[in-house]
Amino acid sequence: MKSGGLSKIGLVVSLLILLNYFSAGAQGEKITFTPHWIPQAQFAGYYAALDQGFYKNAGIDVEIIHLTANISSFEFLKNGQALVVSSFLMDAVKQRAAGIPLVNIAQFSQHSALMIVTKKESGIDEAKELNNKKLGIWSSGFDDIPLAFMREKKYNIELVRILNTVNLFLMGGVDALTVMYYNEYDQIINSGVDEEELNTFFFSDYGFDIPEDGLYCLEETLHKKKEALQKFVTATMHGWRFAEQNREYTVDLVVEEMNKAHLPNNKAHQRWMLDKILELQKPGNKNVKRGHLLEQDYQRALKIFESSNSEYNKEALLFETFYQPLLQE
Amino acid sequence: MRKNSLSFQIILRVLLFCIVLGGVIFAIYYYYSRTTIEKTTRENAINLANNTIFRIEEVIRPSEKLPENLAWMIETGALPKDSIQSFLKKLVKNNPEIYASAIAFEPGMFSEEKQAYAPYAYKRGNEIETTDLWSPAYNYFLMDWYQIPALLKTPYWTEPYYDEGGGEALMTTYSVPFYVNENSKKIFGGIITIDVSLDWLTDIVNEVKIFDTGYAFLISRNGVYVTHPSRNFIMNETIFTRAKDQEQPELRKIGRDMIQGVSNLSEITLKDRGHVWVYHRQLPSTKWSLGVVYPHREMYASLRTLNFIILLLSALGLSLLTFFTIRIINWQISPLTKFAKSARIIAEGNFDAPLPVIEANEEMKELHDSFAFMQKELASYIVNLKETTSAKEKIESELRIAREIQMGMIPHIFPPFPNLPEIDLYASLESAKEVGGDLYDFFLIDERHLCLAIGDVSGKGVPASLFMAVTRTLLRSVADKNRSTAEIVRSMNKTLAINNESNMFVTFFVAVMDIQTGELRFCNAGHNPPVLIKNKKEVSFFNITKAIPIGLFEDFDYTEERIQLETGDQLFFYTDGLTEAEDARENLLGEELLLDVIRKNADATPKKLIESVIQAVAQHVAGHPQSDDLTMMSISYFGNIGKNA
Repeated sequence: MKSGGLSKIGLVVSLLILLNYFSAGAQGEKITFTPHWIPQAQFAGYYAALDQGFYKNAGIDVEIIHLTANISSFEFLKNGQALVVSSFLMDAVKQRAAGIPLVNIAQFSQHSALMIVTKKESGIDEAKELNNKKLGIWSSGFDDIPLAFMREKKYNIELVRILNTVNLFLMGGVDALTVMYYNEYDQIINSGVDEEELNTFFFSDYGFDIPEDGLYCLEETLHKKKEALQKFVTATMHGWRFAEQNREYTVDLVVEEMNKAHLPNNKAHQRWMLDKILELQKPGNKNVKRGHLLEQDYQRALKIFESSNSEYNKEALLFETFYQPLLQE
Repeated sequence: MRKNSLSFQIILRVLLFCIVLGGVIFAIYYYYSRTTIEKTTRENAINLANNTIFRIEEVIRPSEKLPENLAWMIETGALPKDSIQSFLKKLVKNNPEIYASAIAFEPGMFSEEKQAYAPYAYKRGNEIETTDLWSPAYNYFLMDWYQIPALLKTPYWTEPYYDEGGGEALMTTYSVPFYVNENSKKIFGGIITIDVSLDWLTDIVNEVKIFDTGYAFLISRNGVYVTHPSRNFIMNETIFTRAKDQEQPELRKIGRDMIQGVSNLSEITLKDRGHVWVYHRQLPSTKWSLGVVYPHREMYASLRTLNFIILLLSALGLSLLTFFTIRIINWQISPLTKFAKSARIIAEGNFDAPLPVIEANEEMKELHDSFAFMQKELASYIVNLKETTSAKEKIESELRIAREIQMGMIPHIFPPFPNLPEIDLYASLESAKEVGGDLYDFFLIDERHLCLAIGDVSGKGVPASLFMAVTRTLLRSVADKNRSTAEIVRSMNKTLAINNESNMFVTFFVAVMDIQTGELRFCNAGHNPPVLIKNKKEVSFFNITKAIPIGLFEDFDYTEERIQLETGDQLFFYTDGLTEAEDARENLLGEELLLDVIRKNADATPKKLIESVIQAVAQHVAGHPQSDDLTMMSISYFGNIGKNA
C-alpha cells in the first residue's frame, strides 16, 4: 500500500540507452529530456524518434528521464536534471510568471483534451448542473482551466482532490471527474462504463481550447545549445510523424517503455491515447503550423492566468519572449 | 454383382434402410448426449464457481472481521491510543493471511497537533515492523484506500495492486471507516486497513482445472484481471481492454455483467481461445467476479470420441452386414440361376434335366416341386401329343386315300367325249374337307343318251362321302335309257331311304340328254335349279319343281320334266356350296351374282365358264376359308351341226 502505484516510481528513472556505442564514436551533444508524466503514448513521438535513431542521426545524444505524477517536470528543469522538459502551456505560463526563465521551443499539442465527465445517472446533463456538485480534480495541478471555467460561469463546485485513479468516480464518491480525453476518460470506459452512460463536457467547447503539451528549456540553455535543441525539436517532430504512420509499432514501443517502468499497461488503452494525442496535434481550424504555438492561444492562456493573478511581470510574459520556436518547418 | 440383379436390389434397399435408421438413431442419441453434456456442464460450472468462491470467502470473511472489530474497539475506547502500534503488530503477527495493517487518522483525530498520523505494522521477513505511513510524498488522504471509504463512509476493498516496496506480491487492502465519540457525538475518525496478499487467492483460482485448457479467472470491480492463465493480463488488462483489443463487444457485455454482479452462463467465441462457455459469479465480499471458462471443443471431446467410435463401428457393421447379406442372398437365390439353366435345358426338350438340390428354403422347394411337376407333365403331355399326332397323321393319310378313291369315282378326264362333237362338257369339284359329300357324274347310257347328275349329300366329311359313293354307285346301276329320270330317282330314293339309320339325304339332279335331238329329260330331288344359257346370252334358272332330297321318304313320287335344247345352248349345274360361298363378313355369293358372272361369260366354253365362276368365288370370299364343297358342271350343246361339220 505504501508503495503502490506511481509513488514507488517517483525517483526511479528509466534510462534509455539510445546510442549504439560501437558505431564510430559519433557521440553527439548530450540532451536530457523529461516528459511531464509517466511513460505512456502521450510521449510516443519521443520513443519513436529514439527507436528510429532520428536523434542519433541528427548528431545528438538524447536521454529520456521520466518522473512521477507527484513532481513537476519543471523541477527537473530547475535542478538541471533535464535540459528540456515537456509540459502544459498553462503550467509553463505559471512557472515563467513565477520567475523561472523558461521558454517554449515547440508546441506539439494544439488543443485541449481536458474535460469533465459525469455519469448520466447523476442527472448532470448540462454544464450548469455541475453547480453545487462534487468534482474530482487532480491534486498535482492542471486545475487552472477548470477553476477559470468555474469562475467564468460562477459555479459553486465542491472540489475533491484526487491522486490519479478514476476509482472514486466509479464508486460514486464524486459526481463529476476532471479527466483527459486521451487518458482517464478511456480508463473509465475500460473499467466497464459504456460511453452511452456518460455525459462529457469538453473545456474546448466552452472557450478554453488551450494547447497543452509543449517543449520547454531555460533561456540559458537555449543560448548555449540552440543548435542541439533545434536538432532535438526537429527529430522529435519526425518521431511524431513516424508514430502517426506506424501506430501499431509505436504502441509496442510505448508498452515496452511502460514495462521497463513496471507500469501496468495494455495496448487497447495506449492505442486510444496515441490516436487522441495525434488528433490534438493537428491544427484543425487554427491558423498555425504543426509544432508551433499560435499567439492567440498563448494570449488566451495568459488571460486565464490573469483571471486569478492580477499582478505579475508582464514584460516576462510577452509572447515574443515566451515563445522561441526552434522548429524549422 | 450386376446393378439390376435381385441381390443387388435387395442389398441396396437393406443398406439404405439401415443407414437411414442408423442416422435417425444416431441423431437422437447425439441430441440427447449433447443436451446431457450441456446440462452437466452447466451444473459443473455453477458448482465449480460456487466452490471456488466459497474457498475464497472462507479466507476473506474472517479477515474482514479484524478491522471491523478494531473499529469497534476504537469507537468504544477499548484500545488505548498509546498501545495502538503494539496492538497492530500483534494483529499482523497472529494473522498469517494479513500482510499489514494500519489505522489512518483524520487530521487532529489522534491528537490535536497531529494533522496526519497513520501507524502501520507490516511484515518484513519474519519480523513485524511499524512505521507512520504519512510523509509529504505519501499523502494518504488522497489514496483510494483512504479517500473512497472516507467519502462513502462504507468499508471498501481496493483494486488489487502490486506491492513492490515490501510485500513484493499482488495485494489488496480492506478499509473500514471508524468513528470516535466526542461530546457524545459520533465523529468520523479515520480508516482502519488490512493488507491482504493475493497469492493464496491466485493459488485457489489457478487450482481450478477444466478439461485441458479450460480455466478460471478473477476480475476486480473495475474489470482488471486479478488472475488469468495469461500472466501478462494480470494487472495490465481489463476484460474491457481485451474486448476492445479483440474487437469483441460480446466480451465487454460479459465483463459488464460480471462487474455488475450478475451471475450468468454465456457462450462466446474468443478469438484467442475459440468457442467457450463462461459462467461467472460475484464474490460477495470484494465484489470481484469469478469466471469459469469451459472450452466448447473439450466439453464435447468425449462425445466426439464416442461419435467417432460409433461411426467407425457403424461403418464396420454396415460392411459386415453388406458382406453377409450378399453371401446369404446369393446362397439363397443361387438355385434360381440353376432353375433358369434347367428351364433352358427343359425348353430344349430334355425333360429329365437335373434340378438344383434344395435343402432349407421353402419357397425354393416349392419352385423345385413346381419345376419337377412341370417336367413330369410336359413329358406325359408330349407322349400324348405324339400319340395323338400319329393317330391324326394316320387318319389324314387314310382320308387322303379316301379322297383319291372318291375323286377316282367321279369322271375327271376332260374333254370326256372327244368323239362327240355335239357336246362339250366340263366339271369341277373342290371339297371343303379331305373328302366331301358333293358329287357329279356323267356317262353315256347308249350312243344317243348322256346321263348327267349332280348332288349334294347332307353333312360333310367321311359320312357324306360314303353316302355320296353309295348314291353315285346307285345312279350308275339304275340309270337306263328306258327309264325316265323320275324312275331313276324313285329307285335311288327307295334304296337309300331303306336302312337310312343316320337319316342322311342327298339333293340330287339327274338329267338324260338326247344328243341328237337336244331333248333334255330331268328330275330334280331338292337340288338347286341349274342355269340355262340360251344363244350364248340369255341366262336363267330352270323353272322347275324342286321336290325333296332323296333318302328321306322311300315312297316319294318324283316327276320328270323336260326341255328342248337348241343348238348353242349351254347348261350350268352347281351345288349350294357356290351360291352360299361366304366372305369374312358372312355375305353369301348369291344367285344374282352367280347369274351376273355367268351372263358375263355367256359365250365361254364350259371349262372357261367354270374357271371364271371359280375366280369370281375367290374374289368374293377374299381368302375366307371354304366351308362347303364347291361343285360345278357345265355342258354346251352344239346339236347335229357339230356332227355334220
